[in-house]
Amino acid sequence: MNDAKPIPHWRLLAGVNRTQSWRRLKSAVAQSRLHAFLMGLFVVGYAWLAYALFHKALQFTSSFPGLGPVLIERMMFLLFAFLFLLLLLSNVIINFTNLFRNKETHFLLTLPVPHQVIYRWKIFESGILASWAFLFLIAPLVAAYGTTYNAPWHFYFVTPLFVALFVVLPGILGSWAAIGLARWLDRLAFQVAAVLAVIVLIVAVSSWLQPETVTDEMLETRVLDVVDRLLSRTKFSLFPFLPSYWVSSGITQWVEGALMGTLFFGLVLLSHTLFFGYLASTRSGGIFYGALSAVNSRGGGRTGWKFWRRKPALGQAAFAPKPLDRLAKLLWWGRADTRALIVKDVRTFLRDATQWGQSLILLGLLIAYIVNLRHFSHRLTSDFWIDLTSYLNLGACVLNLATLTTRFVFPQISLEGKRIWIVGMAPLGMHRTLMAKFLFSTAVSMSVTMALVGASCAMLSIPLERILYFTLTVGVMAFTLNALAVGLGAVYPNFREDNPSKIVSGFGGTLCLVLSFLYIIGMLSLMAATSRWAFGGSSVAVFWLGWAVFLGGSFLLGWLPMRTGIRKMASVEI
Amino acid sequence: MIEIEHLTKQFGDLRAVDDISLTVPAGEFFVILGPNAAGKTTTIKVMAGLMKPTSGSVRVCGFDIGTHPIDARRCMAYVPDFPFLYDKLTPAEFFRFTGKLFGMEDAAMLAEAERLAKRFNLGEFLAKPIEGLSHGTKQRVAIVSALMHSPKVVVFDEPMVGLDPHHSRVLKDILREQANAGVTVFVSTHQLSVAEEMADRIGIMHRGRLVAVGSHDELQAANRDSTLESIFLSLTNDDQ
Repeated sequence: MNDAKPIPHWRLLAGVNRTQSWRRLKSAVAQSRLHAFLMGLFVVGYAWLAYALFHKALQFTSSFPGLGPVLIERMMFLLFAFLFLLLLLSNVIINFTNLFRNKETHFLLTLPVPHQVIYRWKIFESGILASWAFLFLIAPLVAAYGTTYNAPWHFYFVTPLFVALFVVLPGILGSWAAIGLARWLDRLAFQVAAVLAVIVLIVAVSSWLQPETVTDEMLETRVLDVVDRLLSRTKFSLFPFLPSYWVSSGITQWVEGALMGTLFFGLVLLSHTLFFGYLASTRSGGIFYGALSAVNSRGGGRTGWKFWRRKPALGQAAFAPKPLDRLAKLLWWGRADTRALIVKDVRTFLRDATQWGQSLILLGLLIAYIVNLRHFSHRLTSDFWIDLTSYLNLGACVLNLATLTTRFVFPQISLEGKRIWIVGMAPLGMHRTLMAKFLFSTAVSMSVTMALVGASCAMLSIPLERILYFTLTVGVMAFTLNALAVGLGAVYPNFREDNPSKIVSGFGGTLCLVLSFLYIIGMLSLMAATSRWAFGGSSVAVFWLGWAVFLGGSFLLGWLPMRTGIRKMASVEI
Repeated sequence: MIEIEHLTKQFGDLRAVDDISLTVPAGEFFVILGPNAAGKTTTIKVMAGLMKPTSGSVRVCGFDIGTHPIDARRCMAYVPDFPFLYDKLTPAEFFRFTGKLFGMEDAAMLAEAERLAKRFNLGEFLAKPIEGLSHGTKQRVAIVSALMHSPKVVVFDEPMVGLDPHHSRVLKDILREQANAGVTVFVSTHQLSVAEEMADRIGIMHRGRLVAVGSHDELQAANRDSTLESIFLSLTNDDQ
């Protein structure tokens, strides 16, 4: 049986996964050509636009005599320092899933494949998954950096080599961190240490990022002093033991023609990559298997944090109403079955860490942006900038909302999928199911977006009637975006898929996102053009005409998909 | 053969497997029965090397699964209740992949895959993507891929789930042939009829412990019951 020279396991795994990925890509293209076209357009568009913008920005910055090169160089160090941090975080998360929650990993463990090979394959796979998007995002900036300084042609070959060596390190460190996390997650000491570390980190970062007051006088007379104070906050990126320091030093020195310096940092990077790569690819398999066994041995789902882990209720106590059920009773005008559906949806959302995690990140970014408005709003003395900022706030808020409605509201009907018999057979009916999902998601998004836009307007100190105007606008848009997502979700359901992100990536999800964005761009342009006070101001008649078109368009774009969706659901066959 | 010695597996406060000792010699068809959460799947997962035992040991073909996992797995075929398959591959490509992982030569691999695929009526599905196959067909693909390297020990967890009566019969026949040819067959099932019909020996697990082991006749004699169902119910009844 073993006479023939065996194919190394690594090659077999690479081959089978390459075939899988290629066929998955082909079927994704075949499934939704619109989606594939838009993705292609986005890739090319982003690369071109980002390169053009970065190039212009770098040229502008480099035009400051003396100061420009210093700022650009520091920016490169910061870029790679943050890239290192993001890659590390991304690798921890993806490695954790890929090493301990992945069906292929469990399958391979039952075959005569050494643990070391499985681990090596999985960290390679995780490294690619965790890094490609970041590298795609920074590539135009690095290219623009090269062209700004007229770097020689070989810069564009050496830089990818440096970056390739660099991404290995967060990949390996991330996998080790994931193993540690998996191994010790259920230990109380580990949990206490993790919570304390997060608190310390938050306190340290917030005190580090405290804004400094810079007066107009300082900006006019002591520019170098101000820049020096600004740069002192970024000195951490020059810490010589950071891999990001080696890669940024190598790249910047190559541009400057200091080839020996580049060679030095290249060798530092290479030696560390080889050292850690050797440890990971030959010495970590056993530790990985120990952690995986520990994860599998937890079983039973009792992996929650010990701080708030409660004993499961037994007998009749298990049926007692929980806080969410009691909260739903406040919706006294709704029927009991509708309330039950809403409670089920909220519970499912809250128990899916991926769903609430992504929502939290999107909303957190928006809140951080709005909260930071207070730091520079006092500098906005021109009406033009105040108007522009208030419209940009509105735009940022609804674009964010469109992402959330497409990502979370659109797949709602599809996710009922295999369970739709429960809802479909109940007296509730699909019509009311759809309406309940729509009204609930609209109520939640309206409250959040109206509050955020109201707060941002208040921070810009704009008059009350304009605050009302922006708040009402975002309320109407929240209504339309939710109706569009629920309606299209019912028109283009995918009952075979359990994964919401895969449901969204189909034709219906893509259409929903594209229509939402077109609606937002169109309506924001209309509202700005017909505004009574912004950008020159319009007459009263034009203002009300603009509002009428906005309300009519918003109603139609929400009502049409909802009506079609309700009809489709009435005749759905599963 | 399979040798389990004082195997214990603890999940936090729960003792899923509690001090089990069992030897299944070569050529024996052993069926393990037990109510839900009795510890059958946990025992099998430890045997397959998916988790380490809390204490005790498991040896497969004489190799300790903890210290010589590769040697143990090389001589073993394991099919879980819901097997993983690469959904974008075809069954033929999947057989080739698993055959190569076991170091099989092309000719032997092709011959064995063809023979088993024919017995499980997989001919028409060999070139179709696995993602489009029914649950039962996927189960048959997993079984063929597990058996094609001529294992010395076969460990199947609920292998009849999803199989139609015809293919259940084929699987039972194949497993019987394997046992007759000296292969150790270890099957977990809820179907008492499978145990009655096929097993040389039956083990009954309850609350992590092996509460009875023996041939059908031995169990009947020891429990003074006529049917396996009544023996099973009396041994796994918590009210008693």
